[in-house]
Amino acid sequence: MPLESEAPLVVSVAIGRWAVASPPSRLRTLLGSCVGVVLHDRSAKWGGLAHVVLPDSRGAVDQPGKYADTAIPGLIAEMEQVMRGKSAGRLVAKLAGGASMFQTGPPGAAAAARNIGRMNQEAVEAILDALRIPILSRDLGGEGGRNLHFDPATGRVQIRSPGGAEREM
Amino acid sequence: MSLLSEVQRRMLRTILGRGAEGASQALSRWLGQEVRLVLGEVEQVELAAAAEALGPPETLVAACLMGLTGPLGGSILLCFEDRAGLALVDILLGQPVGTTTEWGEVERSAAMETTNIVGCAYLNALAAHLPSSLGGSAAHPAGELAPTPPRFFHEFAGSLLEFAMMDQALELGRVLLVKTTFEVGDAGPGLDWTLLFVPDAPSLAALASALSDGDAT
Repeated sequence: MPLESEAPLVVSVAIGRWAVASPPSRLRTLLGSCVGVVLHDRSAKWGGLAHVVLPDSRGAVDQPGKYADTAIPGLIAEMEQVMRGKSAGRLVAKLAGGASMFQTGPPGAAAAARNIGRMNQEAVEAILDALRIPILSRDLGGEGGRNLHFDPATGRVQIRSPGGAEREM
Repeated sequence: MSLLSEVQRRMLRTILGRGAEGASQALSRWLGQEVRLVLGEVEQVELAAAAEALGPPETLVAACLMGLTGPLGGSILLCFEDRAGLALVDILLGQPVGTTTEWGEVERSAAMETTNIVGCAYLNALAAHLPSSLGGSAAHPAGELAPTPPRFFHEFAGSLLEFAMMDQALELGRVLLVKTTFEVGDAGPGLDWTLLFVPDAPSLAALASALSDGDAT
């Protein structure tokens, strides 16, 4: 049994934030209509996770982790900083989230939010495409939340839905 | 879009307090025992903080959501951790707390009916005390403040809140949600329920404008 000090650290990534980790640390987050963008450098074994809330910052700079167009470049910049080198051609991505829980719900609060999951997906995919970062797998859409765990040592991303078995991306 | 000032938040809390009183009475009659809704502070917090309003985000919660229609839009959510929600069913069925162990059709129906009762009472009291520019069907073309039928969810707390707050997040860097907890006489600490009032972004703006007039009754 490992000593407590040797136990892997699990870093929780809050909504609208990103984090970078290397083994033995792992990353996790809870997703609804937000999209979790997992970036992995397989050779350096560094990984990053952004919890994207909305597709477009429209020039806002105060919360870069909230928007796809600012979170993804910000996450890559931080990964390059900790890896002390350019990541071009080395990163791969996995995407999860983008659900629409209130598809048939109320006309008020949820109405505008109903399409956000899909818009987040489209924005993230377009940005990754422009950056030439291949998307290895997707676990997107649906109506329910996702509990995401990412291990930078292996690149494995595990997803659990309420009442469902854990699945690997 | 501006956030509510401290004075506006205090005024809104007074109005919501009337809603909590009305809901307390209705829920006490429904459950056949004394229940009190305890209103928390009206706060506008960052998304990350709001996502923990129901405890650790990975906690599995049962929740019934009602949308708002009329002069205010948004959501009311009645949320319970599994144990607390299933205890509600036991109370309604007159059996010892702990008898019900899973969310079947009857259990979900009981939770939704309870949400209907609490939500309608809350909104009725709220509508009666809203500033005149927002409340009252005759004065407002949008009609009376009314809920949509409740929907049941069994979901991670963090995901549920993310969905509920998304409309405000579209417009604001900080979100407003008002948390109300429950004190139940005989059932003890096992009944850990939370009622969340989450107005949408246009309603928040309308509330800010109406509360500036200072005519809450």
